Amino acid sequence: MFKDYAVNGVFDEMFQESGQTRPHYDPVFRQLSNLDQAAFQRRRRMADLAFRNQGITFTVYNDNSGVERIFPFDLVPRIVPAAEWQTIEKGLEQRILALNLFCKDVYHNQHILREKIIPPEMIYSAKMFRREMIHVSVPNDIYIHVCGSDLIRDRDGNYLVLEDNGRTPSGVSYVLENRSVMKRVLPSLFESYSVRAVEDYPFNLLQILKELARHPVDDPNIVVLTPGIYNSAYYEHSFLARQMGVELVEGKDLIVDNNHVYMRTTAGLRRVDVIYRRIDDDFLDPLCFRPDSILGVPGLMNAYRCGNIALANAVGTGVADDKALYPFVPAMIKFYLQQDPILNNVPTYVCADDKERKYVLEHLEELVVKSTNESGGYGMLMGHQSSAAERAEFALKIEKDPRNFIAQPIVELSQHPSLVDDHFEGRRVDLRPYILFGKKVIITPGGLTRVALKEGSLVVNSSQGGGSKDTWVLEEQR
Amino acid sequence: MSQKQEKIVKNQAMNQSTRAEIPIFLSARVPRSPTSKPMLARVAESMYWMSRYMERAEHVARITQVNFNMLMDLGEIAHSMQEKQWQAVLHILRLDQSPEAQALFASPDRNLGQHLTEFKTLNLLNKNSLLNCLTKARENARSIRESISAEMWETLNTLYWSLLSDDAKQRLEESPQQIFQSVIMGSMLFQGVSDQTLPHGQGWQFIQLAKYLERVDMTCRVIDTLFDVLRSNEATMEGPLKNIQWMAVLRCCSSIEAFRRRHVGDLDPQRLAAFLILDKESPRSIRYCIRAAQKAVAGIATAVHPQEIDPAERILGRLNSQLEYAETREFTGVGLKYVLKQILDNTAESASAIQRSYFLH
Repeated sequence: MFKDYAVNGVFDEMFQESGQTRPHYDPVFRQLSNLDQAAFQRRRRMADLAFRNQGITFTVYNDNSGVERIFPFDLVPRIVPAAEWQTIEKGLEQRILALNLFCKDVYHNQHILREKIIPPEMIYSAKMFRREMIHVSVPNDIYIHVCGSDLIRDRDGNYLVLEDNGRTPSGVSYVLENRSVMKRVLPSLFESYSVRAVEDYPFNLLQILKELARHPVDDPNIVVLTPGIYNSAYYEHSFLARQMGVELVEGKDLIVDNNHVYMRTTAGLRRVDVIYRRIDDDFLDPLCFRPDSILGVPGLMNAYRCGNIALANAVGTGVADDKALYPFVPAMIKFYLQQDPILNNVPTYVCADDKERKYVLEHLEELVVKSTNESGGYGMLMGHQSSAAERAEFALKIEKDPRNFIAQPIVELSQHPSLVDDHFEGRRVDLRPYILFGKKVIITPGGLTRVALKEGSLVVNSSQGGGSKDTWVLEEQR
Repeated sequence: MSQKQEKIVKNQAMNQSTRAEIPIFLSARVPRSPTSKPMLARVAESMYWMSRYMERAEHVARITQVNFNMLMDLGEIAHSMQEKQWQAVLHILRLDQSPEAQALFASPDRNLGQHLTEFKTLNLLNKNSLLNCLTKARENARSIRESISAEMWETLNTLYWSLLSDDAKQRLEESPQQIFQSVIMGSMLFQGVSDQTLPHGQGWQFIQLAKYLERVDMTCRVIDTLFDVLRSNEATMEGPLKNIQWMAVLRCCSSIEAFRRRHVGDLDPQRLAAFLILDKESPRSIRYCIRAAQKAVAGIATAVHPQEIDPAERILGRLNSQLEYAETREFTGVGLKYVLKQILDNTAESASAIQRSYFLH
């Protein structure tokens, strides 16, 4: 099934340029080559059925029938050797420390603005900057408790950070479910490896949420707040609540009285101490943010500011993952930690800057233009695949609202063998590790490897026809 | 500041903070009780409806299956009875007013049975079709997946997808029996899995309550409707045909074997009604279900307000006593109708009492 496999001149995770397998992929390559096609197809069907019957799905908007879809799962595992992982781990830890200090700084003394490291107008024009959070203290000074940073590899195999998701990153449930399905369907592949377990993520998350409770002596009442079953990540919300053994609530289950938050139970009201919220700031509290939100809890922000309820992540972390502030992250690392960044950024042009905007407008064809306030692969222009008309349209948009756009050179993502019909072909992948930040930083070994299943596509988002892979981080050789 | 001074200041600060926090901590309005963990009202409601719809799906499948079989047994004579019999089935399932169903009767097609079977199974226009019941059961389950066991979810979800598969329509044409059977067994499996995997706390009690209330409701309607039909046929029918029909009544309530063992070979209508309504041991009899529902409400109520008698518990308890002291002589003609109406009214009332006490906080 590897017969016509082509490396295509990009970085391939499994093969070196010579066509030789990379040593850590040897056993997988040998076993997969020995498997005949029918056997492999059988396993693929087994995996699909397991996902469907367990209801591991995401919801697609604007689709009348069959709103629940299975997130396509590719059976070839992605393997990260121990040494590589160590670098990633250190780099991500450094990054989250800096981002968190940045959040605290921006909402308190604003040293970074006074020192002119970041222009103030970049902060105040950020849509996710929350004035309401100025001088509000959060438990243990932690803002970003859960972060998912997207990593990609360039042509030489260097890991780069593409973006940080410091609001409500999703996908971690697939990391755990992919592993469990993989163990069920292809157990023999695990034999030649010692793969680090990912199962303790919910446990670690629960510990971090517990730390947030104001009265740690008592058994705190922790809940997961979801927008409801029609949200695209609903499966994950319910999965995490189930794995942590806590209540999954919707906005209408909660009520604020005298600046305390309660949930409505069969026996009346019960106090809530910590909310792991999977609702965006905008919808959290209609009295404070969008008044038309019916997903939120009226009065929640007041209770939060009184310190009677803890939220994870904190309100206002969106300022740290604003795409226009992303180019400043290396500077943040230097400013707050006096260190050089371990993981590099993708070079980025900020359209708000006159010189850079000029460059972007002249080189649209070679760049990817992204809107700073959208995610999920929406609002993007892929320069080399666009028509002249599309480019003209984007140029107009950029000139009209430069703050809203950034541009990056097209990075050739690394590719990984994936099943296409009856054989393997190289498809582009990224990696989203999940970082938990409490008393210490815990990074789940692995993460979600997303794969662009369309040939030649560089967009891995599930809403754009992406799939996922199990990701193995190997135990250090002793 | 010396180190010692600093320490004192820190200590004071700490003392102050604990003192200030204690009153909030012991919020008088909502005491914490570590022993019983109350559940979210919304979760309780979803548990209830998940179970009710699952049970309803089972009854729809069984009643349709039995009727389908019986009409096959009646052969030639069946033709004249077909319409009447299917109308009765629709009446049991509260579908007799549905315009879509009536349209099927109006059409001159000879394959009435098949069309109706499809209508009752896969048609989404029909609020009580198997597919709709299962969809609703699943939607409810999906919104409380963290509160039910993984096994329960997988059982329900697998059953749901089996009805949605591409070949479901074809399988329904080839062998409707098999689809009905899979739903009946699926529902029973679901209840069994629930018993064995979910802790028997409040959530489980809501599942029990809903299951038994739904069963009482369906059983009452089966007896009421089919007894009417049979009585109207009495003059024209001969012995064996009559027996087939009486047996079908028992089958609809999945009580034929239990009844045979109790009353060997005697298909006397009065006894039949008495068995279906009053039998102490059969889990399909109305009285058994009322008792079980009462027990479930009592279990829920003691966890929530142990001192008071729950309104729903009171209604079900009274009904239970009434049935305990009932006379089987009353179970003919108008008397039977009256008893059934009373049971239906009382169960409906208890259902809304539960809604008021537990779901609308």
